[in-house]
Amino acid sequence: MRRREFLGLVSPSLLVMLGLLLFPLYKTVEWSLQRVDYGEPGTFLGLDNYTQALSDPRLGRAVLFTVGLTVAVVAVLLVGGYLLAVLVNGLGRSRPWVLGVLLVSYVVPNVVGATMFSWLFDSNFGGVVNYLITELTGAEILWFTEPWANRVMIGLNTVWFMLPFAMLVILAGLQGVPEEIVEAARIDGATGWRVHWHVIVPSIRGVLTFVSIISIMDVLRTFDQLVPLSPQAPQIGNESIMLYIYNIAFQDGGQQLGLGSAINVLLIVLIVLLLSPFIRDMAKEARQ
Amino acid sequence: MYAGRAATARGARPLVVALGLAVALLLAGCGAGSRTPAATATLVPCDFPPPPSSVDVNVLAYNSSAIDPFTNSMVRSCSRDGVTLHHEPVDYAGQSQKATATLAGRYGTYDILETYGFVVPQQASTGTLHPLDDLMARYGAQTGLDRLNPQMREALSYDGKLYGIPMQAQTFVMAYRRDVFDRLGLTPPRTFAELREVAGRIQRDGGIRYPLALPLLASSDVATAYDAALGSLGTDYVDRDTGRPNFDTPAAARAFTELRSLLPLMDPQVTTFAQPAVQQQMYNGSAAIAIMFSGRMLDLTRPANSRFAADFAFAPPPSVAGGNVLYNTLSVDGWAIPENTEVDKDLLFRLIAASVGEESSRAAVPAAFPAREGMVTPASSPFAAAQLEAIGRASPPEPFPWTSRISNDTRPVVADVLAGRTTIPDGQRRMQEIATAIVAGYRR
Amino acid sequence: MSTVQTAPPATTSGPSGDDVPAPARRRPRGRTVLVGGLLLLVCWVMLSPVLWTAMSVTKPTDVAFLDPPVFTWTPTFTAFVDLWQTTEFYRYLLNTLVVALISTVVALLIGIPAAYALSRYPGWVSVSLLIAALIFRALPRFAVVLPMYELSRSLGIYDTTFAVAAALVAINQPFSIWLLRNFFAEIPKELDEAAMLDGCSRFQILWRVMVPLMGPGILTAGIFMFLFAFQEYLTANVLTDVVARTVPVFIATQLGQTLPMLQQAGAAAILLTLPVVGFAFVAQRYLVAGLGAGSVKG
Repeated sequence: MRRREFLGLVSPSLLVMLGLLLFPLYKTVEWSLQRVDYGEPGTFLGLDNYTQALSDPRLGRAVLFTVGLTVAVVAVLLVGGYLLAVLVNGLGRSRPWVLGVLLVSYVVPNVVGATMFSWLFDSNFGGVVNYLITELTGAEILWFTEPWANRVMIGLNTVWFMLPFAMLVILAGLQGVPEEIVEAARIDGATGWRVHWHVIVPSIRGVLTFVSIISIMDVLRTFDQLVPLSPQAPQIGNESIMLYIYNIAFQDGGQQLGLGSAINVLLIVLIVLLLSPFIRDMAKEARQ
Repeated sequence: MYAGRAATARGARPLVVALGLAVALLLAGCGAGSRTPAATATLVPCDFPPPPSSVDVNVLAYNSSAIDPFTNSMVRSCSRDGVTLHHEPVDYAGQSQKATATLAGRYGTYDILETYGFVVPQQASTGTLHPLDDLMARYGAQTGLDRLNPQMREALSYDGKLYGIPMQAQTFVMAYRRDVFDRLGLTPPRTFAELREVAGRIQRDGGIRYPLALPLLASSDVATAYDAALGSLGTDYVDRDTGRPNFDTPAAARAFTELRSLLPLMDPQVTTFAQPAVQQQMYNGSAAIAIMFSGRMLDLTRPANSRFAADFAFAPPPSVAGGNVLYNTLSVDGWAIPENTEVDKDLLFRLIAASVGEESSRAAVPAAFPAREGMVTPASSPFAAAQLEAIGRASPPEPFPWTSRISNDTRPVVADVLAGRTTIPDGQRRMQEIATAIVAGYRR
Repeated sequence: MSTVQTAPPATTSGPSGDDVPAPARRRPRGRTVLVGGLLLLVCWVMLSPVLWTAMSVTKPTDVAFLDPPVFTWTPTFTAFVDLWQTTEFYRYLLNTLVVALISTVVALLIGIPAAYALSRYPGWVSVSLLIAALIFRALPRFAVVLPMYELSRSLGIYDTTFAVAAALVAINQPFSIWLLRNFFAEIPKELDEAAMLDGCSRFQILWRVMVPLMGPGILTAGIFMFLFAFQEYLTANVLTDVVARTVPVFIATQLGQTLPMLQQAGAAAILLTLPVVGFAFVAQRYLVAGLGAGSVKG
């Protein structure tokens, strides 16, 4: 392919991304160096916003919470997604139904799904999970104010709406595993989980990487679902980085667009750092 | 590929079922948008000279039983002669966020804004609201606005200028379950000590584990609650004469101890409850006493919402320590015109005038307490008497631009102190620092 | 990947249907039941939030959110009727559909040529563009959406479905490029060369040869774009106000309401869910097939 053809084909997409992603990104970096209000030109501050952001313990807590949630959720997604994909892969006629049902939580908007999810746990609104737990064990769990209970609920919700995607991609990957190598392993006497661990998992490594990348990106940006699920997130240390940005840059009373932008930039750095091993792999593979 | 025609046909069946169900549900309500407020609200006179070209007017006002009548009358009655009013349903948090966005900078979506006395000084001092005195002078007499309650007009003024046309006042009202009180021989509490006593009796009686319900949402209502407690103890945020914040005074500490003393009587998750959650506690019968704004009371009396609708009775809220000033907040709600609107402000003013006119105000009773004398009588509603008494017993407003900023910025500290994560002296110290810095910014 | 290797359907004991491939390997019957039961449980758990909401919104309003919950009631569809008649839900639904359709079509129109070029043009340019796209995919929404707010204001397109659709095209472009590029990579380059010998230009190859071969790939990418756009909350919330409000934004602004509006918000959630559930049932086969066709090698 000639360079001219390449440019001709790529340019519409490239223009859209430059205009609507790179330019906004540039604005964010610019704002991060300013004191600025919506709709007004800012004044240059230098790195003040960054020092202010980095000295705020609330940011530290937000990073800890977000990264912790990411690690936990991605681990569950990989294991759960794999197991579920294997189960679904073994299905016959019922497979379209099972897949259709499993995809429901993925296609519902996050904020709506999280609200439905919160109604299961909210005793004030007759939450059935709460009711059953109290009926069966007598315990009353404070899902919205107890930090760890709240974390568990947020984690469950995140897994709930991301698991279908992980399962789907892994399932697609399983279709590509040649039957011969599985049979060969069986003939060699491998059984049960050994076949999975030593044969199937390595052969779909690319797929698992893909799931990890997408999940890491998405959990690091956790925001929508916290609005219904954690009404006092800042108080109990369950504020995600995005929610923190929202609270200081957008929420009633906090209009610190410059500071919010600085944290946006820091979040981008964090994301790129966490993704860098995968990016290196991808670069290598894409070059081939 | 997952092949086979039979499989395809089978796979399509769930779609047909789901779509069929969706269509059936949609058809169940065919006549989409046929009963919107714009079609059903009370028609009131709305006079204005037809504008030269058609005009769209966007109205920002949160939905509640007390605000809706004013908004809906305006939208329905004034959408004519080339003028179209738009109002999208939004909750209180949504309104706060959109108000900030629309007032910031050169562009604004909204042309008429619902606002309230607490935030008017801050909005007015930054020049984002249009002063209404000239318009009032021009149209006030012919539209009957000169008969609006003068104190309420004052509440929406800043620095001698009028920035909002009052539509109604809201105060705290105490709702309680008369059946429960009668059974236990209780009378409505008049102080926090009595409140603890009464709620404690209900709690010990069993059945209702957390009898008391206050909106104490950590990201919003908790600041109002603290302000109300402080006010009932006769103390302002900031001393009016010296400009010194009062958070280091004994009253500031007492406000905390009093509020904290109520915690064992309330749901352990109360710091996640806004007013709708408190209403839900009352609907469900999981609480027997609630204190919140009067605009939320009509919902309680509707049998469609609660099986206990007929059992609710109402009283003024108690005072914290027995003084004349109650645990109360007087909030005056009204309409304002953003400075950055592109619509003719004379026209907007006349739309507002229609919304708060005689007919519209009368139609808003009993849901609201309109800003016109004599509209509400003790017979207007089950809670009217309580409302009438409470309205004269609230702490005076603090009409300064720093008031709402102090409230916003100290809110997380208040939440931490209530939750016991910060001690009262520590919380006081931090609040004093925050408030001192804010006031200093304005005095410089 | 073609036919599905299956165990017998979990619950039936009768003869299997004609079109079900014979099981490759007999599993012990107890295990089949166990697997079936496990999957049933998973499905039930995954559906429970939606089911519970569906229950709440068909209860009479005064018991809709009662604590402890009621488990027997006479179903009523009042909440749906009220939602449909007393709000402009139909308009939000229309906006949502318009945004989703426009952004899907445009994303594919500009994504397909770009992905094709990236799959055929070796070297550092392609690699760095792909890496850049990957990082774009990972950007926190606020870093793009808040400047977009300013941009749309100054261009005068704020609060239009066009602005939301344009934003979503850009935001979802990286994902569609990656997905489509992997599909193109599966098609042998020899095909291009043969077509070139026949005198086709690159554009002709793309539209006449590649696109017809890419059916499942384009479908998969399209389904994802549609779903992403249909669910988008944050972008739509920041870029719309009165005119172009979408259903997720509408529902989110109703969550702080009391009865009966809260119940209507639940009804709106169910109404939004039902069509996408139907969509999911149809789409699942193409998603698995499409993703399996090599799209996720990278």
